[in-house]
Amino acid sequence: MLPVIQFSDVVKIYPLKAGDVTALDHISFEVERGEFISIMGPSGSGKSTLLNLMGCLDTPTTGDIFMSGIGVRDMSDVELTNLRRDRIGFIFQYFNLFPLLNIIENVSFPQMLKSQKSVDPKKAIEVLHSVQLEEGLYTHTPLELSGGQQQRVAIARALINDPDILLCDEPTGNLDSKTGANILELMTELNRKGSTIIVVTHDSNVASYTSRTIRIVDGRIAA
Amino acid sequence: MSTIFWEISKRNIRIHMLRSSLAMLGIIIGVVAIGAMGILGNSMTQEISSSLSSVGDSVIVTPYSGGGGFGGGGGGSGSSANLMLTDQNYQQIKRAVAPNVAIPILSTSEHMKVGVGSDDIVATIYGIPTNQEKDLLPDLEAGDYNNENSGCLVGSTFAADHHIQVGSRISIGTDGQYGTLRVTGIIKERGMSFDISTDSALVVTKEWYQNTYNTQNVYNEVVVKVTSGDTATVKTIIENQLNRNIKEKTVSVTDSKATLATIYSTFGTVTTFVTAIGGISMVVAGVSIFNILMMSVNERIKEIGIMRSIGTQKKEVMSMFIYESAIIGVIGSLIGGIICILAGYAVSALMLGTTKYLFTVATMTSVVEGVGFGIIVCLLCGVYPAWLAANLNPIDALRHE
Ligand SMILES: Nc1ncnc2c1ncn2[C@@H]1O[C@H](COP(=O)(O)OP(=O)(O)O)[C@@H](O)[C@H]1O
Ligand SMILES: [Mg+2]
Repeated sequence: MLPVIQFSDVVKIYPLKAGDVTALDHISFEVERGEFISIMGPSGSGKSTLLNLMGCLDTPTTGDIFMSGIGVRDMSDVELTNLRRDRIGFIFQYFNLFPLLNIIENVSFPQMLKSQKSVDPKKAIEVLHSVQLEEGLYTHTPLELSGGQQQRVAIARALINDPDILLCDEPTGNLDSKTGANILELMTELNRKGSTIIVVTHDSNVASYTSRTIRIVDGRIAA
Repeated sequence: MSTIFWEISKRNIRIHMLRSSLAMLGIIIGVVAIGAMGILGNSMTQEISSSLSSVGDSVIVTPYSGGGGFGGGGGGSGSSANLMLTDQNYQQIKRAVAPNVAIPILSTSEHMKVGVGSDDIVATIYGIPTNQEKDLLPDLEAGDYNNENSGCLVGSTFAADHHIQVGSRISIGTDGQYGTLRVTGIIKERGMSFDISTDSALVVTKEWYQNTYNTQNVYNEVVVKVTSGDTATVKTIIENQLNRNIKEKTVSVTDSKATLATIYSTFGTVTTFVTAIGGISMVVAGVSIFNILMMSVNERIKEIGIMRSIGTQKKEVMSMFIYESAIIGVIGSLIGGIICILAGYAVSALMLGTTKYLFTVATMTSVVEGVGFGIIVCLLCGVYPAWLAANLNPIDALRHE
């Protein structure tokens, strides 16, 4: 089976007036289906850049990235956007739910983007059950929920279109340790059920939940 | 397009009700300004055309004064007292325009008193041949045409202002030195006209005028009532006859129809101009829409970044902001349109004393134009902020705090 993500000699250079910044320097690695990976490294080492490239928010300067075998290098903005919608689930540190939409609507949002019309909330409810959010909260707005509950909703939103991979940027960075542990347990369970998950973190405790850790230093994979 | 963006736009307007309402208010004012100006202008044009068209087709011949063509209007002959048409001119005109009737008219401004000890009045006195009074002034309100030398007709406004009835007596001259005239009839209101303005004037016989002021064989103007052929032809005939010497013209000829056309087009221009002033307030409204949409974009940079990162297309982000301006634009413009009709009703009633011109095609068109313009302005002002939002770099937008 094709790897979910394949980086092949990827270089990312940010051209700046003061001189080019090489954020990623000849990176190659593969993520297999069903893996639970953490990416660790000091600040400024290139973790966010790596996550943005994996999330198809940006394209490499040189080298190739394949998402389930599809090269993204020459994709248009419309194609990259559709790829993000259909194959990638994003989970952010600050949850980033839409304050104008209720919980069900937040979760259904990517589903509506895909179908281009309003959708049956059945699937959203199903996914919300799988992230263990109490049903009484489904018609509330995000700001009425606790941080842990919001992150559960965010995970449900990321899962709604059955993505190939979940990309998480410090998913527990804004939660207390007990809630953070609950979220990590949820992610472990999702991984057991088959989800491929990548977590960017600087917290080695988070990394201990994952089966593999990729360390980057100065834009390169260390060990 | 997905209904979720429509929903988000609606909710965003709702949670920012105050500023959305203010932007709407701007559009409402813009639409009302354009629509109300249009209503007023069109009502005025129609009001004037209804009072002018009753004049009928006539051609007015006045002595050539070197000036431009317009200015034929009746009355005010004081300044051109030395410029008179001769009887020979009159006979030439009469022959040239036959079978149309040519009426010679004398006029002056005079002091007079109605009743003993009353105030001194200054009014215009017209001298018209007795047998042609009927041709020029076909409608009397009361009494009969004047067929005696010391009789006169008075205009309806003059009669009302000075409590004059058939049989009233008016003494003419500063101390009544020209004798007394008896009112035989009251002329129906004629409104504005090109030939003579009788509403506030006296009409006397040509003989009384000539005897009193000792003016033989000269006239201030000649009015041709055009019943056969059209006014432009009659005008040309007269000019060909009397202005043979191009360098030294004898007469100025005013064609009532052409003058009317000029007046209409002038009113049209004024209406357009005034409506354009209304358009300025629409521009101001547009700026405020632009402003709130820029605010809306700026507040939601992070949200736009999230939307884009989880798979929202540029055009969908764009639609969200276009919807927002469209909602404000359509609601504001429609409210403006309704207020416009109400305001137009009030203004017409107050300024013109009638609302019969309100629900005509021309006035309703101006309301529709105002509403349409309002919606278009809103949409146009929404385009740039929406474009800006759609083209934010998703990574930068995501990082935005
Ligand atoms: N948009 C950008 N423009 C220019 N330089 C950038 C940009 N994003 C990141 N960088 C630079 O690239 C390097 C890696 O940054 P980043 O990927 O954010 O690291 P990390 O997330 O590990 O802290 C840093 O030197 C950073 O300054
Ligand atoms: Mg970072």
